[in-house]
Amino acid sequence: MARYILRRLISVIPTLIGVTFVIFMFQRLIPGDPAVAMLGEHAAPENIARIREQLGLNRPLFLDRDSLVQGDLGGFFDSQYVRYLSRLVKLDLGNSIHRRIPVAETLGLRFPATVELALLSMLIAIFVGIPVGIISAARRNSLIDGVSMMGSLVGVSMPIFWLGLMEIMLFAVILGWLPTGGRLSTGVQIQSITGLYLVDSLLTWNIPGFVDALKHIIMPAIALATIPMAIIARMTRSSMLDVMQEDYIRTATAKGLAERVVLFRHALKNAFLPVITIIGIQAGTLMAGAVLTETIFSWPGIGKWVYDAILGRDYPIVQGGTLLIAIIFVFFNLLVDISYAFLDPRIHYD
Amino acid sequence: MAEITPQDLFVTDFAVREHRSLWVDAWRRLISSNTARLGLFIVTVFVASATLAHFFWTYDAKTDLDYALKLKPPNLRPTEEISTIHPFGTDKLGRDIFRRTVHGGWNSLRVGLVAVTISLVIGVLLGLLAGFYESMEITQGERVLLQGLVGLSLGGIIAWIGAQWVIALLFGLLGVLSIVFGKFLAGKPVRIALFALGGLLIGGGIGLLGAPMVGLVCGLLGAVLGAILASPLTGTFFSNVVMRAMDIILAFPSYLLAIAIVAFLGPGLEKGMIAIGVVGIPIYARLARSAVLSVAQKEYILAAYSVGEGHDRIIFRHIFPNILSPIIIQATMGLAGAILSAAALGFLGLGAIPPTPEWGAMLGDSYKYLSSGAWWAVLFPGLAIMFSVLGFNLLGDGLRDALDPKLRV
Repeated sequence: MARYILRRLISVIPTLIGVTFVIFMFQRLIPGDPAVAMLGEHAAPENIARIREQLGLNRPLFLDRDSLVQGDLGGFFDSQYVRYLSRLVKLDLGNSIHRRIPVAETLGLRFPATVELALLSMLIAIFVGIPVGIISAARRNSLIDGVSMMGSLVGVSMPIFWLGLMEIMLFAVILGWLPTGGRLSTGVQIQSITGLYLVDSLLTWNIPGFVDALKHIIMPAIALATIPMAIIARMTRSSMLDVMQEDYIRTATAKGLAERVVLFRHALKNAFLPVITIIGIQAGTLMAGAVLTETIFSWPGIGKWVYDAILGRDYPIVQGGTLLIAIIFVFFNLLVDISYAFLDPRIHYD
Repeated sequence: MAEITPQDLFVTDFAVREHRSLWVDAWRRLISSNTARLGLFIVTVFVASATLAHFFWTYDAKTDLDYALKLKPPNLRPTEEISTIHPFGTDKLGRDIFRRTVHGGWNSLRVGLVAVTISLVIGVLLGLLAGFYESMEITQGERVLLQGLVGLSLGGIIAWIGAQWVIALLFGLLGVLSIVFGKFLAGKPVRIALFALGGLLIGGGIGLLGAPMVGLVCGLLGAVLGAILASPLTGTFFSNVVMRAMDIILAFPSYLLAIAIVAFLGPGLEKGMIAIGVVGIPIYARLARSAVLSVAQKEYILAAYSVGEGHDRIIFRHIFPNILSPIIIQATMGLAGAILSAAALGFLGLGAIPPTPEWGAMLGDSYKYLSSGAWWAVLFPGLAIMFSVLGFNLLGDGLRDALDPKLRV
């Protein structure tokens, strides 16, 4: 098993190199001169020159033939790609073009907000999705099964940004129960420990702060949770149905065990593997879904920042944000694969 | 005594089932399911209304503007204030939302359709070839082709550094040579050494024409490439290259990658189609490959192989029709996903360029007016997205039940 884990860890390296390469090539997609595209047609030549220098656009992409002809092999080590990689190793994602602040630093500052939102959404999705899936499987073809499966299909078909807008309309505009967006009301202070406001306010026993943070997070969290919730419910149901056709389930039922015991002790345990997979994949997708949800609810996380950067053509931020989310996605896939080795004793890895 | 013809003896044999083809069978099962019928109905309504509107209901988005009718709620009969009927209300420019929603369907569905077609064609082709050559012995002719192409393309990089296009051609030739001479030079270390030397000479020799340093770099790279080309590449090699490339695309959350690509390309419907299409390729490639791997073990493939049919014929006449069901199911579900992604792009301002009507862009246009109570401007385009996606999802679910051979009696 140790060998399997090691091999899986090593296999991440080429993937990460590929991911960084794709993101590096993004700026090649910009039509025309990227520096002009970023600053606009009428930018001063010295500003364009500064951006070109900052982004290294006046350097060759990979290998400088001219410097090779002159016998200067060092040209390669100063190419855009090598510069980009060496900056990445130092966790330097470049500077924002408009605000001239380091991208990595701001990503770090805004990361907890996105994590808090994604974590809460994941918890909602798991704690609603799995029970719904189990009940549907246990009462197959009943009314409750039909309703929940239809509901989950609607959930998968829902554009989450639209669901968010509908929530705002109902709960914020019409009923006035919840705030339309943001992370905290003005004037409410929460001492930062982990960066997750819900956790921090509980740690410092700041109940008004906790309630305020909860009021702000609940709508975006539900919007973001909808799709994973529906997918988890469907996966749990179909996986349970598969397992419940097995002989050992019939044996367990035949020897008179309570339905509850058969469902939870025998079926669920064995049906869990595909559910874990789907949860892992959804966890990565949640981070990406944050771009839309955070935009709707003006949630001050990475997604909203990336959205603003797209509008402002602040390409280093888009690159940095995409890279961070992609790395998290790769990491979750890795985690799922490794968890197999522990969860499924039937499979031998060597 | 009259002669008795076979027709006279015709009696219904109840033991023999009426002959139906796979597709007729699947169709009957599809329309016997309520959810699939519902899905089919929704999809038909959307496709028909969008198509009919596009061809028979003129709408010029560029001139559609009436500030007097700005953000009016839905009205089903003319009033004193508003003389025209707007069942879905009007938006911030006084445009009729019903009209724009129906016309927007043409653009939204088109993005989905083109995107899925791109992913489907490229993905299935790659997956077919990858799966096939992973499970089948590669023929001598194909080996020459593969080896030559690998030599040519990797040699192209060296040629680019050396600025001599001859280098690429020579490496292509070197690749082909390794097949021809592979038989005579049995010892593997000897062959690798010889081909590395050949690569060194090609790269270094021609590179030296440029400058000493160019010769050095080209020679070194050439030696490595020569060593690679020395052992004939297998079908597994091809499959590995394709699938690793797919893994890299899969390493991104799919629509984030689409958003990022369009963010750099600049907005536009066509760019959105391409981005969503490219991002979807790996799903079809993986699906096709795994389906091919299971089909390739079947006896009928072996039979086709033994009667001497060519690889192209086996792939397209025998394998392809047998992996069609999972692909059709995935394509239907994929359409739902592509419409959602297109709407997300439009909402972020990366899809249709205003004033072109498109559901996502309509939402992005209007959501700021939600707080001032203009719910209709947001509700109806969103419902259109949801129902069309739901329709394709229902249809996909129904197709899976209809085409899944496991459920066949």
